[in-house]
Amino acid sequence: MTGFHRARRTVYAALTPVLVLGLAACAGFPDTIFGAHSEIGRTEDRLTYLLLILGGLVFVLVEGALIWAIIRFRSRPNATTPQQTHGNTTLEVTWTLIPAVILAVIAVPSVRAIFETQAAAAAGSLQVEVIGHQWWWEFRYPQYKITTANELYLPVGRTASFTLRTEDVIHSFWIPQLAGKRDVVHKERPNYLWFTPDSAGAWNGFCAEYCGTSHSNMRFRVFTVSPEQFAAWVKHQQSGPAFPAAAAAPAQPDTSKKAAPATPATPATTASLASADTSSATYPVDQLPKWTVPETPLPTDEHFDESTIAKADPARGAQIFKTAACIGCHTIQGVSPGIIGPNLTHVGSRTTIGAGLYPNDMKHLTMWIKDARLMKPGSIMPPMGKGLPEAMGAFDDQQIADLAAYLSSLK
Amino acid sequence: MATTVAAPSVTGKAHKYESGIWSWLATTDHKKIGQLYMYTAIAWFVIGGIEALFIRSQLFGPNGRLVSADTYNQLFTMHGTTMIFMAIMPLSAAFFNLLIPLQIGARDVAFPRLNAFSYWVFLAGSVFMNVSWFMHAAPDGGWFAYAPLNTRQFNPGINMDFWVIGLQILGISSLAAGFNFITTIINMRAPGMHFMRMPVFTWAAFVTQFLIVLAFPIITVAVTFLLFDRFFGTTFYEIAAGADPLLWQHLFWLFGHPEVYILILPAFGLVSEVLPTFSRKPLFGYPVMVYSLILIAFLGFGVWAHHMFAVGMGPVADSIFSITTMLIAIPTGVKIFNWLGTMWGGNISFRTSTLFAIGLVGLFTIGGISGVMHSSPPSDLMQTDSYFIVAHFHYVLFGGSMMGLFAGIYYYFPKMTGRVMNERLGKWHFWLTFIGMNLAFFPMHFAGLNGMPRRIWSYDTNQGWDLDNHLSTIGAFIIAFATAIFLYNFLRSRGHGALAGNNPWDAPTIEWSIPSPPPDYNYAKIPTVTSRYPMWSQLGPAPVAPPVPTAGADQPLPTHPSADQLGIPMPTPTIKPLIATLGMVVAFVGLIWHRQIPIILLGGLIFVISLYAWVLTPLEPEH
Amino acid sequence: MATAVAEHHAEHHYTSTGLPHTKIAIWAFIGSECFFFASLISTYLIYKGRSIVGPFPHTAWTDPSTGQHFHPILNIPVTSTSTFVLLMSSLAMVLAHAAVERNDHKWSRIWLLCTAALGATFLGFQAYEFTSFVHEGLKITTNLFGSTFFITTGFHGAHVTAGVLWLVTMYFIDKKRGLGPRDAVNVDVMALYWHFVDVVWVAIFTFLYLLQ
Repeated sequence: MTGFHRARRTVYAALTPVLVLGLAACAGFPDTIFGAHSEIGRTEDRLTYLLLILGGLVFVLVEGALIWAIIRFRSRPNATTPQQTHGNTTLEVTWTLIPAVILAVIAVPSVRAIFETQAAAAAGSLQVEVIGHQWWWEFRYPQYKITTANELYLPVGRTASFTLRTEDVIHSFWIPQLAGKRDVVHKERPNYLWFTPDSAGAWNGFCAEYCGTSHSNMRFRVFTVSPEQFAAWVKHQQSGPAFPAAAAAPAQPDTSKKAAPATPATPATTASLASADTSSATYPVDQLPKWTVPETPLPTDEHFDESTIAKADPARGAQIFKTAACIGCHTIQGVSPGIIGPNLTHVGSRTTIGAGLYPNDMKHLTMWIKDARLMKPGSIMPPMGKGLPEAMGAFDDQQIADLAAYLSSLK
Repeated sequence: MATTVAAPSVTGKAHKYESGIWSWLATTDHKKIGQLYMYTAIAWFVIGGIEALFIRSQLFGPNGRLVSADTYNQLFTMHGTTMIFMAIMPLSAAFFNLLIPLQIGARDVAFPRLNAFSYWVFLAGSVFMNVSWFMHAAPDGGWFAYAPLNTRQFNPGINMDFWVIGLQILGISSLAAGFNFITTIINMRAPGMHFMRMPVFTWAAFVTQFLIVLAFPIITVAVTFLLFDRFFGTTFYEIAAGADPLLWQHLFWLFGHPEVYILILPAFGLVSEVLPTFSRKPLFGYPVMVYSLILIAFLGFGVWAHHMFAVGMGPVADSIFSITTMLIAIPTGVKIFNWLGTMWGGNISFRTSTLFAIGLVGLFTIGGISGVMHSSPPSDLMQTDSYFIVAHFHYVLFGGSMMGLFAGIYYYFPKMTGRVMNERLGKWHFWLTFIGMNLAFFPMHFAGLNGMPRRIWSYDTNQGWDLDNHLSTIGAFIIAFATAIFLYNFLRSRGHGALAGNNPWDAPTIEWSIPSPPPDYNYAKIPTVTSRYPMWSQLGPAPVAPPVPTAGADQPLPTHPSADQLGIPMPTPTIKPLIATLGMVVAFVGLIWHRQIPIILLGGLIFVISLYAWVLTPLEPEH
Repeated sequence: MATAVAEHHAEHHYTSTGLPHTKIAIWAFIGSECFFFASLISTYLIYKGRSIVGPFPHTAWTDPSTGQHFHPILNIPVTSTSTFVLLMSSLAMVLAHAAVERNDHKWSRIWLLCTAALGATFLGFQAYEFTSFVHEGLKITTNLFGSTFFITTGFHGAHVTAGVLWLVTMYFIDKKRGLGPRDAVNVDVMALYWHFVDVVWVAIFTFLYLLQ
């Protein structure tokens, strides 16, 4: 056994340079599966490296032999008839056995890793319920009674244990930098996954199983933060909605660091509600790596007047929300009970809207409310703007801007 | 069409359907049916390729907006479905038809009219499914059509109705052909053609037919459930009624994995014909090549759940399917090594078909290696449903199946038409395909390992996927250009290629002993076979393969005595299989078109009546 | 010329195994059908006990929303009878085949018709069974049990129907020109099909009806 362990250590030691090379090569590849930031991800990576090395070896040998054969045994004009060999038992047995040995070398650590990665999660893990919807992700933290969407906060160093379900069709939950994917298959019978993030950062997550029209637009973000920051985030998420507790102030467009050129001159950006709290509780927006800031282009056949946005009033928006169709689908704690769409209690504290599709700012939020289907193909949320086909609310642009201002204020 | 010039019939008895379009509609000649399969499959290959070009153009850069998300989903669904069921499988079927009777020394297949029926049904099914494009409602659930996304609840349009019914029709075609070829190979081998003397292509075809007749019933059942769910409100995939979404996946992959071997084994067989001829050596390890085919087919039924490692089957099931999957790599590896052994020590002439055959050996190896990578579930969880998989199976299906089939087309074109394809254009075709295919598919490995999921319509900037996608798209267009050259060469050479003669390659198997193209009856006298390579002497072939024929491009094909003159009874041409097919189509159109019971019954009636008329008429005129 | 034709004819009908093509083909077909019915029966077994609402095959059920009571659906004695009828048809089939082989037109016709009649009787039982199930509240859309049950038995019924049509056709051919030893192989192939359909029924009866 020790011999085996030593052999394994040697293999991994040999793998280290490759690993480093791989990492170097992966700069600029933010979603790469290499250099994963959890123990599960690294176990999976190690096998991938082993397979790549053995596969590379086989590749070089076979292609080398092929090229050698092509050059060495190419037809020459004055050649004689080649020897009519029909086979060679020794050779054939050999090249049956060698792959078998190689496969055994792969099979042993594979089976070991299967049982390792599918063992029960450590006691005291952070429980996270993942629910796939067409086309967004719902995340619940039953230990803290938190429900949120499309942005997942995980503390570094604590095992996160996921229970994966779907509300409709099959999706697949994948954060390439943290762990391999798991399908969300069933409404009641969950699938499981756990891993322990070991460094702080912002990561991209994807739906990896084709799930209909907007499969490509079903993304999410994962923020791995320090335990203290996580505790602050939990506390903040557990609190009620920031509005209307705070004074009715005109909305401040989300502080997306992308600084869209069209950022309107924000009036009265004073003491934005709870911004002091949120800055410590949420991932600092100005530190978002660029690959987590969506650059999805806006649909060309719709626009929203910036002067209307400038006149937006969250207090008016709060009133509109309470009486509009919004409440049928969205929860805002203490305001509305809907569960079809994402929970909006703290929607203003998220960095993106539309499942990682657009930055969460007034410009995108207004257009989203006006016509979500134009912003995201197949979106189940009907267009709310006036005069649009299938529109349910038929709001005018000012009302939409007010609504957006209200939602943005829900830090 | 370049077939035998009809000699005046001695008996003076004029057959109906002797010439023109009717001679094709009513044919029961396996060679003509094979050509029909080939032309149709190439046409679908082009259409599936155009779909691929749209896909690649959409993905050229981040946030592409060339096509809408819905259209994109239709495109990738139909690209997969078309290439698998309408291009590669029927292209293989073209070779089964053309070659099996010739290679075993027979005059036709066991059931010539059933054979015609198989072709017409294939044509009907493929057209049926593609009519959906004209209704802007092409299938959009993926070629794998996972439940419950494929159900009426999540896919209310007519899109998947076309897929469900189209696939049922195509399945009937494959099954009918399967029974036919199994019977043909078991029962129509010429005297002395023992199983262990059969050409390896026929062996590969034989094994493939078993895969077809055993795997297709499973998908038939899965799709029938779906059809009943969608049309009659049953609950097989209705989660609210307690259904298990994994039922579909198990049934689908129980079919789907053998299907992979259905797609690749015929290409393996073709390469096993081409390499010995141009290496001037017998196939290395013939028995092992045959046993490995059988072993691959057998194991192919025991690995299906490796497509499902992410669904949470539990560690025990994961381990079992992981190990069976690794096992299947062994016989596959043996084939690669034996091809190398065949070339080793030979005098290899690099004809276009040799290049494509070597291309298969080299490129399939890459697909095989990445395949082994997926056999390890922890590693697979990082790769599955990413572009790494797309790279993998394109190396298997394009680098493997298509390369092998192209090798077969260049190699057997002379037998089919009597003329050879242009060698210069052929080499252009090969090199551009080779470069284009590696440029298109190799970067997909990187895109996948760098986290790009499959089947996505659009991706964001700054993900590190841009370069890979640029290259893939350029590669796809190079393949398209190469294919255009191929099409020109193929179409032009049918009438204007150099005359081939019986055996232009000095090939060893008996199909090369008869004229090219063979007369209706193939063999004026059924041959007696005494060895595996009857066209080569005991001492081996001439040291070097003969040069590619270049003469006679402007001369007519040689003529041969007709079957009547030789007194060989031949099947009477008949359009009954075609009418039976039309009846079936009418019934299915009635089903998809608002479930019109009278139309369904009418179609059923036409089918049954033409079936009776067909079965009760003897195959050959009474003598 | 005549001898040449005869020679060609003999050569033409040569088969490697000495068996007629149809016989090989029917075995390939039966192999394929095994996978077809195995998939159907497996699905039934996988979904067994997973229906959310009744009625159920072996247990009574009361609809909680309406209070309506449903009896267990399956009626084993009736289906045992129809199973017996179908098994007897296999016996008749054997006798018909024997009669054809010994060129006994009278008895070949009797036994062919008898086989077809027994098959039709089985279908009658099935029609009765389906109708009464629907009356008792089980439709193909009701629940997983209804869907899997009707599809599996329905497809078997369709196979029996095709068999009965085949038998009747053979009967009429027999009546028209008399089936002799040279037709024995066609009857043999039909018999193989018929016996296979019977065997499938035995499996269905065991797994769908008897297995609780």
